[in-house]
Amino acid sequence: MACQVTVPSTRERVSAHDADPAPAAPRPPRRAGGLLDRWGSLVLPLVAFLLVVFVLPLAFVLAQSFTEPEPGLQNYTDFFGSPVYLDVLANTFRIAGMVTVVTLLLGFPYAYLMTLAGPFWRGVLMVAVLVPFWTSLLIRTFAWVLMLSDTGVINTVLREIGLISEPLPLLRNLTGVLIGMSQVMLPFAVLPMYATMRSVDRRLVQAAEGLGATPLQAFWRVYAPLTAPGVAAATLLVFVSSLGFYVTPALLGGPGDVMIGELIAKQLSGVLRWGFASALAIALLVVTGLLLALVARFVDLRRMLGGAR
Amino acid sequence: MNETIAALAGTGASIDVQGISKRYRDTTALDDVSLQVKAGEFITLLGASGSGKSTLLNIIAGFIEPTSGRIEVAGKDITTVPPYKRDLGMVFQHYALFPHMDVWENVAFPLRRRKVARAEVERQVRQALDVVELGRLAKRRPSELSGGQQQRVALARAIVFRPRALLMDEPLGALDKRLREQLQLEIKRLHSELGTTFVFVTHDQEEALAMSDRIAVLRDGALVQVGTPEELYERPSSRYTAEFLGESNIFTGHHRGARFIDATTKADLAVGETGDCAGALVLRPEHAHLAAPGSDIPIGHNVLNGVVRDVIYLGSGLRVEVTLPDGRAIVSRPAARGRYTPEPGTGVLVHWHAERALVVPDHPSVAP
Repeated sequence: MACQVTVPSTRERVSAHDADPAPAAPRPPRRAGGLLDRWGSLVLPLVAFLLVVFVLPLAFVLAQSFTEPEPGLQNYTDFFGSPVYLDVLANTFRIAGMVTVVTLLLGFPYAYLMTLAGPFWRGVLMVAVLVPFWTSLLIRTFAWVLMLSDTGVINTVLREIGLISEPLPLLRNLTGVLIGMSQVMLPFAVLPMYATMRSVDRRLVQAAEGLGATPLQAFWRVYAPLTAPGVAAATLLVFVSSLGFYVTPALLGGPGDVMIGELIAKQLSGVLRWGFASALAIALLVVTGLLLALVARFVDLRRMLGGAR
Repeated sequence: MNETIAALAGTGASIDVQGISKRYRDTTALDDVSLQVKAGEFITLLGASGSGKSTLLNIIAGFIEPTSGRIEVAGKDITTVPPYKRDLGMVFQHYALFPHMDVWENVAFPLRRRKVARAEVERQVRQALDVVELGRLAKRRPSELSGGQQQRVALARAIVFRPRALLMDEPLGALDKRLREQLQLEIKRLHSELGTTFVFVTHDQEEALAMSDRIAVLRDGALVQVGTPEELYERPSSRYTAEFLGESNIFTGHHRGARFIDATTKADLAVGETGDCAGALVLRPEHAHLAAPGSDIPIGHNVLNGVVRDVIYLGSGLRVEVTLPDGRAIVSRPAARGRYTPEPGTGVLVHWHAERALVVPDHPSVAP
């Protein structure tokens, strides 16, 4: 029962607090007899796991960024003092932003179509968006290389049917990165938007039309605003996940499309500047955190992600 | 108050439903329904669930396309006109307020869609909210309002643009009894002061009787009878209407000349009209009088012997259940302090004037 002391459940803490002002009031014996606390202790393995594989390493990375190769702020001044590295950071956010826009533009109509389709086609659409999810990221990225290269499937077909004479530049540039990353991120955009759209009362759209709104007005004035929580959740999920991409931009992108993940990998395995790589990782984490804090000022993040109603 | 209502008053349009049918793959929701609603009339579509009353309303609103037939509003065919061009106000049972807008924005919505000037929107929304007495809640979200308040907002939103008719689909169905009765009065007041055509859907016969100029009774997708509440109550054309509206004592049997022969007891009863058909005798409880055994019965009255089973005091009168010798029950509603006071378990005479009972044929739809 020592576990109850180390991780008291919320309920226990609250009730203990409640009891303070009126200790004289006789309290009925709790029927559950600490059952809830025992259930609560089920979370312990996860807490331990996260502690070992996430919190401790992160603390280690943080420490390392200030101590390698020697104690001080050297790594950070290097990073923030160099336009090359800052460019990579800016590039990371730029690409993540573009991927977010692309996936939202593709994902919104896709999710909407899913809500309109019958059970069979909804299932087909759902599988179509999930199948890539079940294949390895590396394999998908190499598949894109085969598709997009100058002698790849797309360029060959387009040349064969005479639409182009010179191959389109689809690989080793921003286009390739956007195509590859958007495909990976699409499920993260579609699923939260679909979940929200499904809960929107379609009778409201009908009511709007009855009140004089054209179908287009009813959609944009009533339906779309009600899907906003889903769009916001998709935006956040895609954007934040995109910031950490490494394999896809490395394989599909050109020299101008280096993202911070790739830079970190190079520092680690290429030039063995572990301290500097740590500083990069921390910088990305901090900037992302600041960005989220900024967003949270305008949007209720907890509600957006379905935490509380 | 009355000035603001006058400002929103409009001239209602007539609605002409011509031979409307709606068939789904293997069911018929509406079968050749025709109904003329006069301009400014309060008409109620009354029926049990599945009678097609809501389907008909949604066809008038334009949300459902009829399989065949025509809808005319103010003499113009609108059968293929989309809902947003029909200029009809609609109130739903589930309110259908826009949750992301406050009360004011909800009510302003139909005006904005009609590109009404800003100052005019301000003025008309204010008026509409005053009419439903919700001006002080203008900045609230729908989720912060009670059911009755939400339905009032929905009403304001439906009348703010002075629609040619107001369509209401069981608007009070989700409210508790007290609130429902209060809103019934408010809707009736709105109707008399706005002068717009109201089409009201309900399954509640009391609500229909209390509110309507005319009632259209629907059953299984067909129109059974249309008439004023009084006509439907006093002269139902079918056993279904008689049983659906108000309480009835029903005898099945045969109508012959000016007599009605009860099928089970072969009792020979006098009736006002003459006829020759199988049918039902309908006797409203307030026309069934009670008298002590042996007392004089007025001339022209039918008399049945019975035993008082149950007496309920209702304040304004009594509700007495009498058991007939064949075991059937007959209900009477005498005044509370009449000359005769029924006692449970004692014998009693039930009598009524022949003209007061009505014979309805079993198959009224066969008649042209």
